[in-house]
Amino acid sequence: MRQLRDLGGGSFALEVEGPIPATLPGQFFMLRTERRWPVQLPRPFSLYDCADDGSWGSFLLKVVGEGTRALCDLRPGEGVVLNGPLGQPFPADVDDPVCIAGGVGLAPFLLLARQRARAGERTRLLFGGRNRAALAGIDDFEGVAEVFASTDDGSHGHHGLVTSLLDDLLARSVVKPGETVFCCGPDPMMHAVAKVCEQRGLRCFLSLETYMACGYGVCNGCTVEVQGPRFKGWPYSRTCMEGPVYETCELTELQRH
Amino acid sequence: MLSTTLGPLSLHNPVLSASGTFGSGWEGRQFSDLGRVGGLVSKTVTCKPRPGNPPPRIVETPSGMLNSIGLENKGVDYFVAETLPRMRQIAADGRAAHGAAPRLVINIGGESIDEFVQLAARFSAEGVDALEVNLSCPNVQEGKLLFSTDPRLTEAAVRAVKKVATVPVFAKLSPNVTDVVSIAKAAEQGGADGVTAINTLIGMKIDWRKGRPVIARGIGGLSGPAIRPVAVRMVYEIARAVRIPILAAGGARSAEDVLEFVCAGASAVEIGTAMFTDPALMVTIVDDLTRLLTAHRTSIAALRGTAQAGQDARAAAPACKPAEATR
Repeated sequence: MRQLRDLGGGSFALEVEGPIPATLPGQFFMLRTERRWPVQLPRPFSLYDCADDGSWGSFLLKVVGEGTRALCDLRPGEGVVLNGPLGQPFPADVDDPVCIAGGVGLAPFLLLARQRARAGERTRLLFGGRNRAALAGIDDFEGVAEVFASTDDGSHGHHGLVTSLLDDLLARSVVKPGETVFCCGPDPMMHAVAKVCEQRGLRCFLSLETYMACGYGVCNGCTVEVQGPRFKGWPYSRTCMEGPVYETCELTELQRH
Repeated sequence: MLSTTLGPLSLHNPVLSASGTFGSGWEGRQFSDLGRVGGLVSKTVTCKPRPGNPPPRIVETPSGMLNSIGLENKGVDYFVAETLPRMRQIAADGRAAHGAAPRLVINIGGESIDEFVQLAARFSAEGVDALEVNLSCPNVQEGKLLFSTDPRLTEAAVRAVKKVATVPVFAKLSPNVTDVVSIAKAAEQGGADGVTAINTLIGMKIDWRKGRPVIARGIGGLSGPAIRPVAVRMVYEIARAVRIPILAAGGARSAEDVLEFVCAGASAVEIGTAMFTDPALMVTIVDDLTRLLTAHRTSIAALRGTAQAGQDARAAAPACKPAEATR
């Protein structure tokens, strides 16, 4: 660990020394502290940022329990154990994705925006939160992505939920039907975005967060109910292996609603 | 120094993966040299495919975790066609690199004695190194009695499996019983070559805000260091009562823990929940065991069951000096 950058709103960027292996946006790492890890299982985090040469990387995290607390309590020089990259990334064949984030669901999009910017491609990011403080990390996207923010209390950007921001951008043709959305955030927000996408004719991929034990495909604990040809008739999928990114039409729970 | 035997089965060291915590080994092969572990125990294989239980299936608890996976697996046909060849590849790689290979133990699960028999015959024909008979998964009960909660059912199931099996058979026991020793004895009576002790302890975690259990199915199996003292006690008690070897399981995550189980009477130890935390852990433990045993000039064989003798001596000795006792 080399630095813990306070992003406000209880969120931090945990920066670690490399080498960070080549990682695609949406892939994740299992993290734990090398010493004094107070819990049993490592915790999954998307790679937030990374040096071009992999000499350092960072993870976006928020203290929610003992594990994340221990990671945020690390001092520079102390060890972090990383296992990754794991899982499947956002599809690479989408030309100009519309990224929608909530809270620490912002994590996979900085890497995505950076890799696209390097290739001379733009990235649109819709980022929603309760208030300005909840938009932790938004400044990191300056010059990397076109950012459209929304806050529930109107303290920054669009006044309302990120779904109403999406409606607004559709009305202004900043986002057009037929485009593809990449979304990561709290479940209720992802479900709402999925619904708007379905109604307005956008393809939508969600990066899910589930309870995970191993992260490398052996515990079968992180499964979600799925459908579609990718799963060959099997009703469950391990988010750590075939996920965490799924197209909304693959998620049985969303199709029931 | 590290070598051990489980009845007819010899292992180059006493460290194995616990069923359901390391897949078939294939998923974890990138993290360490699996040719160096004593054995790989497969996730439970059933006759027919089992999709498993609805999510959420796991939750972390103090010093452990609860799971209710429900034996998700694609069935024996798929396993023999796709998974077993991969396990054999790991063993072949181990033999090529070290001249020793991890033993391949297939854990089988049946809903009836007939299913256990079918699976035992199938895997005997495949020539695997041993079978571990899962008489004790707490997450698939479906209103039926578990085999390993009843001595007669345990004995009958083991006897039927032994009749067709041409490889060593280990009966995996449940700790969720009044008297685990009577079940272990029943397995021995049925002809088991050894017992695995223990499976998970049933438990529950409730989210009071939602007013419901965290795990969708409600009850789950508790594993991890939280259950280690229970497992050590059960291994110790079983070791006093049976002649067949014991494969210990229950919260071991270090070489010290392995030696604790060996001292209690185990011949080998399965590493389970800790594999989720560190996929290279088994090899680390093998290295640490070598260091510890070298430093203490001892061996697995020499340490096995030493706690039993120590306790016998203590029990035999008078609790206090006769002079004091008569005062």
